[in-house]
Amino acid sequence: MTVFHFFNCALLTFGPHAVYYSATPLSEYDTIGTSVKAALVYLGTALVKLVCLATFLKVSENDTFDPYQELLKVLIGFIDVAGLYFALTQLTHRNISQNHKFQAVGLGWAFADSVLHRLAPLWVGARGLEFTWEYIFQGLEANANLVMNLSLAALGSLMWLRKNKPRTLVPIIYACAVILATMPSITCYLRRALEWHTPKVVGFELVSSLVMALISWQLFSACQKPI
Amino acid sequence: MAAAWGRTRRGGGGGGGGGEVAESIYAVVALVLVLVACVELGDAAAAVDVYRLIQYDLAGAPLGSRLAALNHHAGAFPFAAGADLSRTAVIVPIRDLDLSFLRDYIANKRPLGGLLLLLPQKISDKLGGEQKNDDSGLVKKILVELEQLLIHAEIPYPVYFAFEDEKIEALLMDVRKGDSAGQPSTATTGGYKFIVSLPEPKKLSSPTISNIQGWLPGLKEEGDANQLPTIAIVANYDTFGAAPALSVGSDSNGSGVVALLEIARLFSRLYSNPKTRGKYNLLFGLTSGGPYNYNGTYKWLRSFDQRVRESIEYAICLNSIGSWNNESWNNELWIHVSKPPENPYIKQIYETFSDVAKDIGVSIGVKHKKINVSNPRVAWEHEQFSRFRVTAATLSELPVAPEFLESTGGLYDTRKSTDEKAIYRSVKLVAESIAKHIYGHEGRNIDIFADNSSLAVNPYYITSWLDLLSQTPRVAPFLSKNDPFIAALKKELSDHTVEVHVQHESLDGIFTFYDTTKATLNVYQVASVTFDLLFLLVLGSYLIILFSFLVITTRGLDDLINIFRRPPSRKAKAA
Repeated sequence: MTVFHFFNCALLTFGPHAVYYSATPLSEYDTIGTSVKAALVYLGTALVKLVCLATFLKVSENDTFDPYQELLKVLIGFIDVAGLYFALTQLTHRNISQNHKFQAVGLGWAFADSVLHRLAPLWVGARGLEFTWEYIFQGLEANANLVMNLSLAALGSLMWLRKNKPRTLVPIIYACAVILATMPSITCYLRRALEWHTPKVVGFELVSSLVMALISWQLFSACQKPI
Repeated sequence: MAAAWGRTRRGGGGGGGGGEVAESIYAVVALVLVLVACVELGDAAAAVDVYRLIQYDLAGAPLGSRLAALNHHAGAFPFAAGADLSRTAVIVPIRDLDLSFLRDYIANKRPLGGLLLLLPQKISDKLGGEQKNDDSGLVKKILVELEQLLIHAEIPYPVYFAFEDEKIEALLMDVRKGDSAGQPSTATTGGYKFIVSLPEPKKLSSPTISNIQGWLPGLKEEGDANQLPTIAIVANYDTFGAAPALSVGSDSNGSGVVALLEIARLFSRLYSNPKTRGKYNLLFGLTSGGPYNYNGTYKWLRSFDQRVRESIEYAICLNSIGSWNNESWNNELWIHVSKPPENPYIKQIYETFSDVAKDIGVSIGVKHKKINVSNPRVAWEHEQFSRFRVTAATLSELPVAPEFLESTGGLYDTRKSTDEKAIYRSVKLVAESIAKHIYGHEGRNIDIFADNSSLAVNPYYITSWLDLLSQTPRVAPFLSKNDPFIAALKKELSDHTVEVHVQHESLDGIFTFYDTTKATLNVYQVASVTFDLLFLLVLGSYLIILFSFLVITTRGLDDLINIFRRPPSRKAKAA
């Protein structure tokens, strides 16, 4: 029964990535290599982030919200953006359209994130006899994360790869990208400073990720039109 | 950053290199997974210390709880009539226990999954005054009955005791709520699961009983060839109860042990000075095997030389003298004898004791119970002496002889139910009476162990030993030969007396005990299989909808013509 539960939670956490890959044209154009490379870049970025966090951040004994520390965390969080920039611009890809490229990178990125952050707790926790909602919420969080990473990758590809885009949209693109990049800190703020409970936080993440995805989609199609 | 660059360069290099890297990563991941799979973490919602009901065979008949391992869903009272409880671990506080229900279940051999009995934590510290008394009286009555019921029955399921605390109370509330909502927890509806993972209890190989003795030799006048007479002071120190790990027996017979140690200390001070050394040898005996018809006392007496046994003028056995100091015992002590009270020796003992009792304001009575030699039951320790033709008496607060395995220091017999003042007065009574006899002061009003003198009874000594005894479970089969407690008794006795000797004997054959007296109960909150099935269903539909949605939208972006045509075929393929 508990293995069953583990299976369920794992399906919720990693299923959407697989579905996304197989449902979209990504699978037709065999972009798995790009995703794997993006995942490797993610690993490297995570390592650098870890080193930075360990170097610059004090270990707080309690779970209070310290604005200065959080600001530092946000700045360190932008290393992610740098990693994404590297993955989008520097990696050599076989003939892959910009459309597919950002999707493959975003997917690989989100998948690596899920594996790194969620697989081990899931394996250890969800197989136990004890039932908690924690792993179900964690799976939902992984879904929101996938959507956000895809949006961020879409915006990134707009920012760095597309040269001719409507000038009026540029500030909006940058603002959205900043919001997406700071999303982890925002949820952290909600959790710690406002003391929201997990269901509420996860709900917020889901809603905000959908909203951001919608906006990014609109921006993307708006930039697409002139061509 | 540099690391990221290097890694990606390598990864992005030749195809062969990438494959190798991927392979090594897979190997590492597999290794980590294997390692994690080996580590089973204790992730229970609560881990509770529980104490198992005793398991033993009496002359081959299996008694007590016959199982240790527990793995069942929790349930609490009240149950629907005729409910099948064979797969339910029933959790019930002692206070609310319906004894007739349990008696019915045991008598009819109806199965339970398991039984977890909650003992009140340090009997209502939080409650004040009257309520406390009422409550503890009720709990005591239930506990005494319950204990007798459990130890004399064969129970084919695990029975555990635990102390109530906030965690368990919250759990109990939850279980009750679930039950009253019409959803008793079973495999299909979730709830709580109780797990005690233990191997099957094993027989204890030949339990030993250890008797400890010490002497205070009297002053022998030069040229006197005759052996000095001896007065023996004896108390049994071991206990027996429903939960061996909780049988501390503060009153039965911790109080007797404390009194004996204090009397030894008092007389060692008298005997250390040749001027006050009496013409009597004093023999102190701490015997084991008390609950089993004083088997240890029998073995101890048998080991003595005939001449030593004959030199014993009389023996005073101390048994349960720690809580007579209140209303329920009528402030009364009893001298139990097996010879008629008209017997001159008995008469002399009784008169000396009642003299002193009058002086210190204790009422004392004498009770005569004949020995039936053909009956294996030995109700009092002095009866073992009488069987060896040694004059002996037992001082006890119990007015009648206890039945087999009754009043042997069970669940209720804790520090709380024992009053150190009662022991203090008992010590004074016994010490003063013996001293009067030794120094020939009978009938004279001399207070040898007067308060505030250097020979006064020390209440702190009594309290500290009583506290120690009240924390030490002392069921003989579970005390090994080298148990620190036996070593402590030996050391204490050798501080006051000489020729201290520990005698190890094996308990006579009709008893077999089984190990495992303590365990850890893991409480898990579990989800039901139905929940997981439902969850899988929802999840499956979510993924299917997501798939269709993605196919519709993205293929549409790619190829406008194929929006409506291709998704069905893709879906069919995926299915």
